Amino acid sequence: MSTLDINNVRKAYGAVQVIHGITLNIQDGEFVALVGPSGCGKSTLLRMIAGLEEVTAGDIAIGDRDVTDLPPKARDIAMVFQNYALYPHMTVRDNMGFALKQRRTPKAEIQERVADAARILGLEDLLGRKPRALSGGQRQRVAMGRAIVRNPNVFLFDEPLSNLDAKLRVQMRSEIKELHQRLRTTTVYVTHDQIEAMTLADRVVVMNGGVIEQEGPPLELYDHPKSVFVAAFIGSPPMNFFEGSIENATVLRLDDGTKLQLPKPDPKGRERITMGVRPEHFELADAGWPATVSVVEATGSETQITARIAGKLIRVLVRGRTDVKAGENIHLTVNPDLIHMFDPAPIPDVALEEDH
Amino acid sequence: MTSIDTTAPKLRRRRRSYSHAARVGGAIFISLLFLFPVFWMVLTSFKSQVDIFTTPPKLFFDATWATYIEYFTRADIPDRLLNTVIVATGAGILSIVVGTLSGYALARIRLRGAATFGVLILMSRGVPPIALAVPMFLVARNMGLTDKHITLIFAYCTFLIPYVMWLMRSFFVSLPKELEESAMIDGCSRFGAFFKIIVPISMPGILSTLIFSIILAWEELLFALVLTSRDAVTIPVAIAGIAGDTETGANWAALTAVGTVTVIPVVIFALLVQKWLIQGLADGATKG
Ligand SMILES: Nc1ncnc2c1ncn2[C@@H]1O[C@H](COP(=O)(O)OP(=O)(O)OP(=O)(O)O)[C@@H](O)[C@H]1O
Ligand SMILES: [Mg+2]
Repeated sequence: MSTLDINNVRKAYGAVQVIHGITLNIQDGEFVALVGPSGCGKSTLLRMIAGLEEVTAGDIAIGDRDVTDLPPKARDIAMVFQNYALYPHMTVRDNMGFALKQRRTPKAEIQERVADAARILGLEDLLGRKPRALSGGQRQRVAMGRAIVRNPNVFLFDEPLSNLDAKLRVQMRSEIKELHQRLRTTTVYVTHDQIEAMTLADRVVVMNGGVIEQEGPPLELYDHPKSVFVAAFIGSPPMNFFEGSIENATVLRLDDGTKLQLPKPDPKGRERITMGVRPEHFELADAGWPATVSVVEATGSETQITARIAGKLIRVLVRGRTDVKAGENIHLTVNPDLIHMFDPAPIPDVALEEDH
Repeated sequence: MTSIDTTAPKLRRRRRSYSHAARVGGAIFISLLFLFPVFWMVLTSFKSQVDIFTTPPKLFFDATWATYIEYFTRADIPDRLLNTVIVATGAGILSIVVGTLSGYALARIRLRGAATFGVLILMSRGVPPIALAVPMFLVARNMGLTDKHITLIFAYCTFLIPYVMWLMRSFFVSLPKELEESAMIDGCSRFGAFFKIIVPISMPGILSTLIFSIILAWEELLFALVLTSRDAVTIPVAIAGIAGDTETGANWAALTAVGTVTVIPVVIFALLVQKWLIQGLADGATKG
């Protein structure tokens, strides 16, 4: 176990810079999730930590050791790849013991440590099998097993669950969490699934176009996103946004002329803002922003309402049940503390992606 | 209506089995067409001189080992067979080693101009061998290397290495690069990852390619004809000599006996390759 310090790291492929100076200090035992849209540089950063990709500028230290120019094998890290990369010609036992064998660990100790890891992951009965005789979930588990027998300084995960079906993904997610609580190994976990990031990590790092957009504990990102990008990325279903000009301090005038009364003025006094409200923060009321219901979807525990405000589709999530019907006109209010105001910015695609 | 419903599938099935039979029949016919000369060669090799030229040709005759015994106890033929074994395995092994390593480099190492380099090597195969044979002879003579095994081995490598390199390159490209990366994280160098992970996974491909290369070198005639004269002469050259004997005329029994012995290893090797290839595919080396 160890700290991991990334200091102003950059990466360029030829003339194209893809990581533009990232600094990140990870504490011993901390679980950090890197999230962001496809192509934002998550894998590249992770691979630089692993030593699989050269660092163009900046440095990386594991513990007190500068590892920037060390080969992967000298860094004492373990990595789980999206495609697991199990060695197809070796049994599960040999796959898990391979790294120890490379270090000339005594045979008896390898046996013991592989057996331990297999017990933790429930792989005891599969030790004699080759990877091709395993299901997707079992392969994933073997890949994790291969990482934990090493007892490395740092675990690196690159979208380890994205090849699994939804149900298995949820199950493995809690297993990873349990594993981390037990082993307390410093972990960097790349995902583009914000729920995975939120549920697993002590700290979430939102990346965008090769820079850190915002980082912090999951709920802090949820409560206080600094930009439209982060607000759109964190939370599911995603936040609703309204862009417009401020009139008379507390009126938001949308571009089609609709006026929405704000419960509080913009603390920064901007002329133009993007206002954001999470679906779960709307309240149905007798007066407020008028909306027309288009779809009502009840799951029992909660009801999701899709409605229109001035032609714009929004999502409203209410706990329990409601007797609102499609076609009905409703009014929505928001607690002043739960309304978000940002510099105007285009809303990233992620907000439109449906969660799995 | 119901009667139609029940007969229709039956009809269809029968029709399908007809077309199946037709295809099998066609395949057998084509195989016979190709196998017949081989069959005739093997048959002829066991005939005595008087039985060879009878009309109509005899299918039943007193089989004799005489030709085999005569030719394989003679001084030159066993030597030539040995030469062929040395040159073919030498060229096969050298080209598999060089070709596999360079194929891996082409598949994995990010180098500027690597793709161009690869294409150039491939294009070199487009040069007709005859255009290379004569210059090679001149070079070999200047270096005092004519009629030596090593010369033929190098000559064969000129066409075997590009062939091996390209086959192995496409094989390596199909393997996920995370395999080596994982091995490198697990404590290997790039070379270690190659030898401990990639080579074992690729074994079926490497062995099949090796055997194909050996076969290609085994039956090569042109370079052998030009580059050897006495000591390093290979079997294809010997066969050409028997067939083109202008003094006594072609000795058919000898020709077919030597031909049979030359072809047998090729057939065995080809069957082996097929088995390995199928096994390699079944292993699903790229998955998992
Ligand atoms: N070998 C390479 N050569 C050139 N550009 C590359 C190379 N590898 C990655 N890139 C670029 O670097 C950027 C970041 O890629 P990276 O794989 O880190 O994204 P990511 O955040 O992991 O995305 P995803 O969620 O799709 O995995 C991308 O724009 C990609 O095109
Ligand atoms: Mg990635």
